[in-house]
Amino acid sequence: MIRRLAGLVLLAALTLVPPAAAAEAPKPFRIYMALWRGWEEAAQGFKDYFANQNIPVELIVRNAAQDKSKLPEFVAEVKRLKPDLVFTWGTTVSQEMLGVIGKVDPARHITDIPAVFAIVSQPIEAGLVPSLASSGRNITGATYLASMETQVNLIQSWRRFRHLGMVYNPLEANSLVAIHELEALGRSVGFTLTALPADLADGKPVPASIAAKVAALKAAGVDILYIPPDTFLNVHRDLLTGAALEQRLPSYAAAENPVVTSKAMFGGIYRYYTVGQLTAYKAEQILVHGKAPSAVAIDPPRRLSIIVNMPVVRALEFYPPMKLLGLAEVVDPAGAK
Amino acid sequence: MAWSLPRKVSAALLAILLCTAAATAIFGYSKFEGVLSSLVRSRYSVVVFSIKKDIEDRLALGLPLRQLRQVQDAIEREKIDQPQIQGIEVFDAAGEIIFDTDRGAVGAAVSQDWVQAAQAAGHQTFARSEEDSLIVGLPLVDVLGRVVGAGALRYPAASVAEEVRPLLAGQARSGLILLAGFAALAVLGTYAVLAPFGRRLAAMERQLQTTMAEGGPPPAPADNDPFEARFAAFAASTREALEHMQDATQDVGRLDRLEVRE
Amino acid sequence: MIRLDSARSVILRLMVLAALVLLPPMAIIFAGALGDFQQGMEPELDRKAATIGRDLAGDIAHAATLGIPLDRLVGMDEFFAPVLESNPELRYLALTNADGRILFVAGVQATVLAPHYETADFEQAGQRKAIIDAYLDIAVPLEVKGERLGHVHVGMDGGYVPARLHEILIDVVTVLAVAMIIALEVLLYVVALNAAGPLKQISRTFEAARRGDFIRIPAPGARDEVGRFIRTANDAVCRVDELYRRLIAYAEEVKSAHFDKGVVERVAAIEDRIRYLFRFSESGSPEVVHHRRALDVRLPLFLFVLSEELSRSFMPLYGGTFSLPGVSPEMVAALPIAVFMAAIALASPFAGTLTERMGSRRVFLLGLMPAVLGYLLTGLAQAEAGLLVGRVATGIGYAIVTMACQSYVSKAAIGEQKAQGLGVYVGAVLTASVCGNAFGGILAEHAGYRAAFFASAVLAVAAGVLAARLVDPAETVKARREAGVGALFRLLRNWRFAVFVVFAAMPAKLALTGVVFFLAPLYLHQLGWEVADIARILLLYAGSVVLLSPAVARLADASGWRAGLVALGGLIGGGGLLLPLLGGGTAPVLLALLCLGVSHGLSASPQLALVSDLCWTEVQEIGRTGVLAQVRLLERVGSIAGPILAALLVPVTGYAGAIAALGAIAMAMAVVFAVAAVAYGTGPTIGSDAEVRP
Repeated sequence: MIRRLAGLVLLAALTLVPPAAAAEAPKPFRIYMALWRGWEEAAQGFKDYFANQNIPVELIVRNAAQDKSKLPEFVAEVKRLKPDLVFTWGTTVSQEMLGVIGKVDPARHITDIPAVFAIVSQPIEAGLVPSLASSGRNITGATYLASMETQVNLIQSWRRFRHLGMVYNPLEANSLVAIHELEALGRSVGFTLTALPADLADGKPVPASIAAKVAALKAAGVDILYIPPDTFLNVHRDLLTGAALEQRLPSYAAAENPVVTSKAMFGGIYRYYTVGQLTAYKAEQILVHGKAPSAVAIDPPRRLSIIVNMPVVRALEFYPPMKLLGLAEVVDPAGAK
Repeated sequence: MAWSLPRKVSAALLAILLCTAAATAIFGYSKFEGVLSSLVRSRYSVVVFSIKKDIEDRLALGLPLRQLRQVQDAIEREKIDQPQIQGIEVFDAAGEIIFDTDRGAVGAAVSQDWVQAAQAAGHQTFARSEEDSLIVGLPLVDVLGRVVGAGALRYPAASVAEEVRPLLAGQARSGLILLAGFAALAVLGTYAVLAPFGRRLAAMERQLQTTMAEGGPPPAPADNDPFEARFAAFAASTREALEHMQDATQDVGRLDRLEVRE
Repeated sequence: MIRLDSARSVILRLMVLAALVLLPPMAIIFAGALGDFQQGMEPELDRKAATIGRDLAGDIAHAATLGIPLDRLVGMDEFFAPVLESNPELRYLALTNADGRILFVAGVQATVLAPHYETADFEQAGQRKAIIDAYLDIAVPLEVKGERLGHVHVGMDGGYVPARLHEILIDVVTVLAVAMIIALEVLLYVVALNAAGPLKQISRTFEAARRGDFIRIPAPGARDEVGRFIRTANDAVCRVDELYRRLIAYAEEVKSAHFDKGVVERVAAIEDRIRYLFRFSESGSPEVVHHRRALDVRLPLFLFVLSEELSRSFMPLYGGTFSLPGVSPEMVAALPIAVFMAAIALASPFAGTLTERMGSRRVFLLGLMPAVLGYLLTGLAQAEAGLLVGRVATGIGYAIVTMACQSYVSKAAIGEQKAQGLGVYVGAVLTASVCGNAFGGILAEHAGYRAAFFASAVLAVAAGVLAARLVDPAETVKARREAGVGALFRLLRNWRFAVFVVFAAMPAKLALTGVVFFLAPLYLHQLGWEVADIARILLLYAGSVVLLSPAVARLADASGWRAGLVALGGLIGGGGLLLPLLGGGTAPVLLALLCLGVSHGLSASPQLALVSDLCWTEVQEIGRTGVLAQVRLLERVGSIAGPILAALLVPVTGYAGAIAALGAIAMAMAVVFAVAAVAYGTGPTIGSDAEVRP
């Protein structure tokens, strides 16, 4: 809840750099921000970073409002204004404005101005960069999905487990990738994964089948339920997490909603605000320290935000270790007792 | 004024005694104060550390530093818990005070030296001293590993030594008396050690004077002391030489007079 | 009974006295002060424990507020561990419930604490602090919404305070030990100057008088009892002299005036008899001789070397606080040492000629000026350049002063055993290095590096005051041919000399400056030692040199086995420095320093004597001081190379590796010298103990 306060400073967003700071610094950096869903936390984090570091910037903010057709206009405007740097929000904006590898057209894309992207879940798969170590192009950026290893470490730090369970939508490619990664990780770390697909009917997953799958996992001796970032599961999160609670199966979610607005026990995510700050950090490397964008690696923030759903914890009597509790954000609307 | 040997030696001994006492007292006290103040600093750094942890956890939630209003309450609570604390302040990377137990100071700037100290400290505490207060601080590190500011706690410099000062003053007084006593002992001891030496020199001196003047017997070699033996031999041979000269002079005189008379 | 003309017996008694008046009061005062310190520190420890306890209790209360039952808290070990780790005075942390039952504990067995917790009533304020076994237990209440859930217990090490105070004790003991050595030096000086020395001189007159020699009398010196005694003895000699002169004058008068040949002959016979029996000065009165004694210069020299040695243990650390763009930090730390050595090397030949011309006293005072200026510059330096200038100035002064002392000692030592005579010089230098090292480390730790340099300046000035007043001013000044570059080549053509310098003298200095002066302090600092401790560790080197040197000097004089000792020393030193290869940590460094100390202890004074043996003819030509100056000049090549080479090695090999690398170099050279030393005996024989008078 606290973090939503950040949203309230939206009003301040469009006021650019305070005049006092501008007077001190001879020439602020001009940054063109191309947004997809308006001013939100990543953009705020991006802006706050410069304010906190006392780096004078002049932000030129444009909102596509999820309208792809506006993006060529943005590119034209960038070419006209010639800012020092371009910030692109999300996979679509980044792909359209910066171009996909192999199909970059200097006439249609921005090539001569360094660019940073944020909130791109899979920059390699999206065709933006060939590797996370270096883009090899005039761009860099921050990812926002936690690696599977980080997530497993987080779960392990709550309680060591031997058997991880998962219910998934067999039609969702992301889930299949997650299964693949977890299996590989399980082999090296030493746990087994039992992943059960939701039943399909008419080429669609059946929500009603979820509870049975959870029960099956419990019966198979699963220690913890892993909930992948999956649209189908997100929509039916109450069914899934409710079933887990009923089976007294602790659950971990790789997304915020199952924990904050449903009954998953805990979760680990990266905050958009932090991702925005990290993107600004990378922009600083380019603008202030003169690094080439290709020399700045693409990575997620260092620290995962941990959310703990306290009522579920109490119901399961599956308590978090003190250290983790100290780091976590606790969701506890009613409070104890 | 000429100084006698025991006087010179005891002066040297006293000088050494005094310098040693001063050096040990200064070093001893300095070490003690160092240990004590590092203890005090580490206690306050525990307080700063808990504030740091609190702030960093909130920063990790994605809130900018200046919006962490709860921090103001937290530092004020700490100051109430521990009245010796003079003040706690939280400043950002540019040195602007964001929160301060002295609310009037919010918005002011800390000295640039602190900002640099915080930047250089990494995850370690940094310490600074001002006129009559000491400062212990810890940098605030955000999720990017960047130092976004620091928390600093100000405590009175005097409190460290004040508690023990009366004890030490008493100790110093009795120590001085003790030293004076041993200094007297040093002087007495020196005279005791060197007196026979002086006496024997004086005795030999008298002996020589008598031997030379009265022609008394040369002193007998005493104590198997080679020096005294040599001295006795010297006295004897000098006396002998003296007599030789006198005899020879008489002989020459006699020869001289004899011939004149003849 | 006290022997009157020997300092040793008097000094022994006075040292016992010094120990009696120095040590007990310090012991009594510190026993009292330690108690006070302990009392002063305890409340502070309690407060810290309470602060930590409150902090932990806050976190636990937070968990309890979230509805986690106290006895089901998870991960308490991991929760407690970092707190215990970062606070060395804490020994355990525990959480008890309202009944005093231990729920969690880290750092100690629960059974140790349980009996106490079950019976104690923590509601009473007096019971919050308790002593359990060797622990001090502070109980901090754990409350949630006004309800007492239990207590967090913070257990402190009861031995923590005594252990920290023990560190004070080590410093105090060091200071006392240094004070005793300085007391010895000062007493030796006072007694030698005022009693033993003059009496030794007069006893020469006594000895001469017994043989009928009344030519020389000593200068009476001070107006104390010794001076009076000497005056009386001198008066006796003068009286005989006066009678003799009167007699001779009378006899001459008779001889020239008398007409009777028989009388003249008889008077001449009497005169001949007297002249046969006794000998007198030809100048008309007994010659007053100002004797030089090697011991006279010892205290000024001691103080001066002490001033330089104060910074020994921390010079590379102080140097390391500066920076030069484009130069590695190791090199920045090494440069002040290297330029100091270079300044000594370059100033030494000049200093040598200076002493031959001006006399020791004036040269000593002359040399003090740059030395003191250098200390001040070093202490005030704000940049590496200033530091280097300061060190160069001190280096020049050091070269001049030590050369003045060497020349003084070597001239005074004529007639005594030469290695033993030079032992006075070596002894003063080594004792000063022990004291300076130990004291300087403590000084630097408490007052800072810069303050130590100001103390150095003060000590150097004190040395000057003593030298100005007490080193004999009347000195026979004899111009001598300059020992210049020609002499150097002349010496180097002597293969024995060349081998000695390159394979024994140079590597010894290389190891000394590279390891003891440079690498060891930095390495020990890296290992976490404080400056005062580093200084004490370096004492292993200087201490073993001091302890071995005098005995070896006598052995070398007695046996003439000098090259052998030098070779043996080289092998031990080189081998010892390889030890840090065996493993990390402090122990191998200690052993290496010890071996190097033994090595230099074995070779230091034989080296000096060996030079005269090896260069007998050259000594005849350019003088002993000149030859020694060339040795010093050449071995400084090693001194300069030591820190530079080490600084180049460190980035590649690390500190331990650099020590071993220098050790390997020293070892290889020592082997060559050992082989050569065997060959020394096969050449033309050398008059080993032949004294060379100028």
